[in-house]
Amino acid sequence: MDRDLDSVKVVFKCQREEIPGTVGICLNQIKEKTEGRSIDEAVLSRIKWAIAELLTNAVKHSGEPESALTIKIGADELVLEKEDSGKPLVLIALDKTQIAWPLENPLSVDFAIYHNGMDSLYVRTHQSGKAIFFVEELPEVLMPLLLSDTSEHFGLLIMTKAADEFTYEYDPLKKINRFMCLFNLKTN
Amino acid sequence: MILEVNQIDGVAQATILPQEASLDNAELFKEEMISLVANGARLILLSFENVNYIDSSFLGSLVVALKYAMPRNVDIYLVSLKPDVKSLLTLIRMDKVFKIYTDYDQAMQASK
Repeated sequence: MDRDLDSVKVVFKCQREEIPGTVGICLNQIKEKTEGRSIDEAVLSRIKWAIAELLTNAVKHSGEPESALTIKIGADELVLEKEDSGKPLVLIALDKTQIAWPLENPLSVDFAIYHNGMDSLYVRTHQSGKAIFFVEELPEVLMPLLLSDTSEHFGLLIMTKAADEFTYEYDPLKKINRFMCLFNLKTN
Repeated sequence: MILEVNQIDGVAQATILPQEASLDNAELFKEEMISLVANGARLILLSFENVNYIDSSFLGSLVVALKYAMPRNVDIYLVSLKPDVKSLLTLIRMDKVFKIYTDYDQAMQASK
């Protein structure tokens, strides 16, 4: 993690019609803060998709009139952090296990939560209570099972695949949900 | 209205009008696509020429439309996708589910 992160907090109304405009505001802030640096357009696209999905998640699930998105920009990385005080995350694994935060027994366990024939989306719980999302890519098939699922998982899949790291944690003391997408800005 | 439709001989050229294909218009889009299928289109060429921005909700509606169309032997082709939109579809591998063409002409050629 970079030591000197330049931070911008964008507070937005959790209304669906606000999303595209808020994405634009966030991107403009990022472009302003990274002026003079050559950030790959492909990375900027991935950041844009993640912002859109974080905002969509807030509108759909936070149950709050407002949420906050904090953008932290360092020399080598950019972090999107969305906080809200809505209900904690509940996921249903493919084996029907319910994973609800705060975790009763925080252990390091991997749960498969979505499979479309080509990508398997997993969530790895951690002793700290944090959830780390990751994808395992499978060989291509002719007609994937993509058609059998809903948009709920598309959002998680987009954030997981777009970001270099996508995590969720629930702060039981402050009663805050925190989703975080991290992007490496360093070009190899 | 989300779609501007020009239908000839069962082929519907449907252009998505908004620049932002998002949660705000995903439901209406789904309804209009299902109506097109229900009203007898055998091929829908869906143009994204205006779309600068797409999210998971809209993509979800697109999948629902395809699920409705497939058992009715209706094809949905996607055309005129901007690079950023196409990249997102590729990211979640929807390019493996939908046939994607440069424009209407290329899609029409492919349908013959």
